[in-house]
Amino acid sequence: MRRIYGVVILIVTISIIYLLDNKIGDIPALGRFLDPVNGCWASAETVNRDFTAEIRFPELKNDASVWFDDRIVPHVRAENDHDLFYIEGYLHAFFRLWQMDMETRAAAGRVSEIIGNKTLNYDRGQRRKGMVYGAENSLNAIEKDPRTKMMMDAYTEGINHYITSLKFRDFPFEYKLMGFAPEKWTNLKASLLLKYMADDLTGYTEDIPLTYLRDVLPKEQFLLLFPEKITGSSPVIPTGTIFDAATLAIPQVPDGAIFPKFEAENKKISKNNLPVFAEKQDGIGSNNWAVGPGKTQNEAAILCNDPHLMLNLPSLWFEIQLQTPDRNVYGASLPGAPGIIIGFNDSISWGLTNNYRDVKDFYSIKQAETDKNKYWFAGKQLAYEKRIEKISMKGMPDFLDTVNYTIHGPVMYDDHFTAPGNYNKPLAMCWMAHNSTNELLAIYLLNKAKNYNEYVDAILNFQCPAQNMVYADRLGNVAIWGQGQFVNKWKEQGKYIMNGADSTTLWKELIPMRENPHVLNPERGFVSSANQCVTDSSYPYWYNGYFIELRAWRINEILNSNKKFTIDDMFKLQNDTHSLLAECTVGIFTNVIEHLKIPLNNVEENYLKQLKEWDKELGAESKAASIYQIWWYHFYNDKWNATLKRVPENLFPLPERTMQLLVSEYYGNNLETETLKTEKYADDDVILKSFKETMDSIQKLEKTIGIQWYMVKNTTVKHLSRLDAFSYQHLKIGGWSNTVNAAKGDHGPSWRMVVEMGKDINAYGVYPGGQSGNPGSKYYDDFLQNWVEGKYYKLQFLPNNKEQNNNSFKSCWTLHP
Amino acid sequence: MRFILSIILIAFIASFVEYFLPWWSIAIVAFVVSFAMAQKPAISFLAGFLGIALFWLCAVVFIDWSNNHILSGKLAMVFKLPNYSMFIFITILLGGIVGGFAALAAAILRSSEKV
Repeated sequence: MRRIYGVVILIVTISIIYLLDNKIGDIPALGRFLDPVNGCWASAETVNRDFTAEIRFPELKNDASVWFDDRIVPHVRAENDHDLFYIEGYLHAFFRLWQMDMETRAAAGRVSEIIGNKTLNYDRGQRRKGMVYGAENSLNAIEKDPRTKMMMDAYTEGINHYITSLKFRDFPFEYKLMGFAPEKWTNLKASLLLKYMADDLTGYTEDIPLTYLRDVLPKEQFLLLFPEKITGSSPVIPTGTIFDAATLAIPQVPDGAIFPKFEAENKKISKNNLPVFAEKQDGIGSNNWAVGPGKTQNEAAILCNDPHLMLNLPSLWFEIQLQTPDRNVYGASLPGAPGIIIGFNDSISWGLTNNYRDVKDFYSIKQAETDKNKYWFAGKQLAYEKRIEKISMKGMPDFLDTVNYTIHGPVMYDDHFTAPGNYNKPLAMCWMAHNSTNELLAIYLLNKAKNYNEYVDAILNFQCPAQNMVYADRLGNVAIWGQGQFVNKWKEQGKYIMNGADSTTLWKELIPMRENPHVLNPERGFVSSANQCVTDSSYPYWYNGYFIELRAWRINEILNSNKKFTIDDMFKLQNDTHSLLAECTVGIFTNVIEHLKIPLNNVEENYLKQLKEWDKELGAESKAASIYQIWWYHFYNDKWNATLKRVPENLFPLPERTMQLLVSEYYGNNLETETLKTEKYADDDVILKSFKETMDSIQKLEKTIGIQWYMVKNTTVKHLSRLDAFSYQHLKIGGWSNTVNAAKGDHGPSWRMVVEMGKDINAYGVYPGGQSGNPGSKYYDDFLQNWVEGKYYKLQFLPNNKEQNNNSFKSCWTLHP
Repeated sequence: MRFILSIILIAFIASFVEYFLPWWSIAIVAFVVSFAMAQKPAISFLAGFLGIALFWLCAVVFIDWSNNHILSGKLAMVFKLPNYSMFIFITILLGGIVGGFAALAAAILRSSEKV
């Protein structure tokens, strides 16, 4: 009897252990997870951790050193490029392994392997848009060039050295929480990460929505509301710059049915059945500028950059300095890719903003009637090339998806995977990111470029994602290139879905990269970009894109002033929260309410008074900022809902276009007169309606979170797992997408950098996060507060030397082969 | 006296063994020690519980203290616990229960051998 009793208890014990050793739903395997020796507690890093170590890497060719400063930014000194990128790989993995793993899985459409079938649609989308296909193509180009092959191989070796050294105990604790393990790194993963960025920056396209709009709106209205180039644009390449004549003939718009009708083919769309399109990505954007020595107090060029990307923890960026005898470069690197993406070396500095020229087009594919393996092209039936995508799912059988590749590219949407707007014909995608391009070579060369010519030679290899690349050097030159690989298009080619059966719609010649828009030392003494239109209409080649203008107007207004700028001025401009949108519209709003003489209660009077006294700054604590932004939000939606009844919300005209239309309605075309016309206007009613709604919203907010701007807008920095415990919300930061400091909900300045390229290089930077990817480390989020407050760190740019004064560093790695 | 010795033995051996083996090795240690010490089931359970709890407590408190509660505070939020000390408490409770049950099973089986 006792024995049975004993056996029962033993079985109970084993059952408890079994339960605690397995993940149940979202709950991790608790026994394994809570184990103080091997579990999550192993990631609780000592706050006084000394990173000092002597490490043996058999793959190294020479001795090397890594010095960590007090923010644990590693300063790497190696004797050759191989060792340098090997160590960079090791460092990235050492601090950010889980993040690199997640991002490359997300790029490759492999999230379901760890999450299960919840993410199947996401993974399918990634596969169908050809992410892996593009990454493989680029890897071919990378491995064909001996320089980038060496760079990539060494980087991968370094990461794998770290991964193979890990026991379960040493895994980043997110692996333990989610119940999977690191896998071997490959060159393809780094290529995937670069495509992930390309997708983030050029994946957005309005081709499908624009096709829809063109069909539902009268032509004049369409052109008025959605102009290709907005009036008054202050382009990246300053107006008046003389462009060289095009060496290619500009193609004629072909005859024939080059654009299929969207609506005619899709009768299902009605007022009650509006298509759902992706949110407008007005959060992704960036600022950069370089002010020449003629406009700075120290008579040295100053370069600034703040790319606005997803605000995540671990941060997208990792600060690092890389030295060999022939290069010395500092800046922000991307964990998962070798080299430095944005930064400076001992001769030049550079920065990036997204160039929104359209490099992704859609083609309507005409299926062969008799053979489902074929499609029509130029009067012939061609066979699809089939690519089978195997998607593994946790706890489920594999999912197989066959993707048909056409002469244009992969068929992303068909009746198995429908396009936004229920467009049910097959749609193929032609995208520059599918091409076999080697951006890594650009990074490799850029990191060691010594002057403007070497800079240009380097960036000519940068094809996709297209970037506005700003430049400043110690000789006082400033320049900017609208860089990328573009197609010599006929007017409106690719602006709408094209007829894929017609050969005239094919992408043909590529524009020689030296003919990309650029300017060196323009007369105005500075260069700048903020995702606005790239050129005025004198640029010979045709292009379209998704350009936004508000930040560019503000930046150019400030930089055009007669001031001699200092580094502090640059800090101020990067953190500028002045809203041009508000400046132009808030007066109209308040005046209309006064003219209408509607009865107001005390509370409403008070809010109106706050708005009239407001300085148009979207400051963190400003209440007027909240009132205005909410009012603008209601006005914008009410206005377009009323005029564009059949257009879905996220296809409304740009805020800056709306602003221009409103200003010309109330002031005529002259803002200077400052006298509002007094008769009644069409938008009076909209303003009144939105005022009422605003008062309602504000009073509700007053009762809950209050109406300070930072509470209302809620800028968050989220951990990649989306768990609140590792994330930050309601950060006390001002700004919005219409201000230079574009701190939105989950997007914002992801790396603020200011570099003065004088006799000495004075560099400052900050990003919202910390060097360590480990939430159990004090270096996980230690930069965040300074970023919120607009403060910067002085970047320690070490002279190029084998020896450094060890006393000024917190810890040091001594590395031997 | 044997009770105290059991606790110390379990805590000490487990802390050594767990460094090389998976977490459930604590159950084996508690089982083996309890089997060898041959005590009453209730006493054995308590010794197993306290032995593992003691070891985990010392380890966790030391780790957590040198970490300034950074991780435990965040994980407490993940598991919807009010604060980091509750998270520590849960950790220790869980280790204790596994140790206690393993020791209890050993004690009963051992006593059934004699009968």
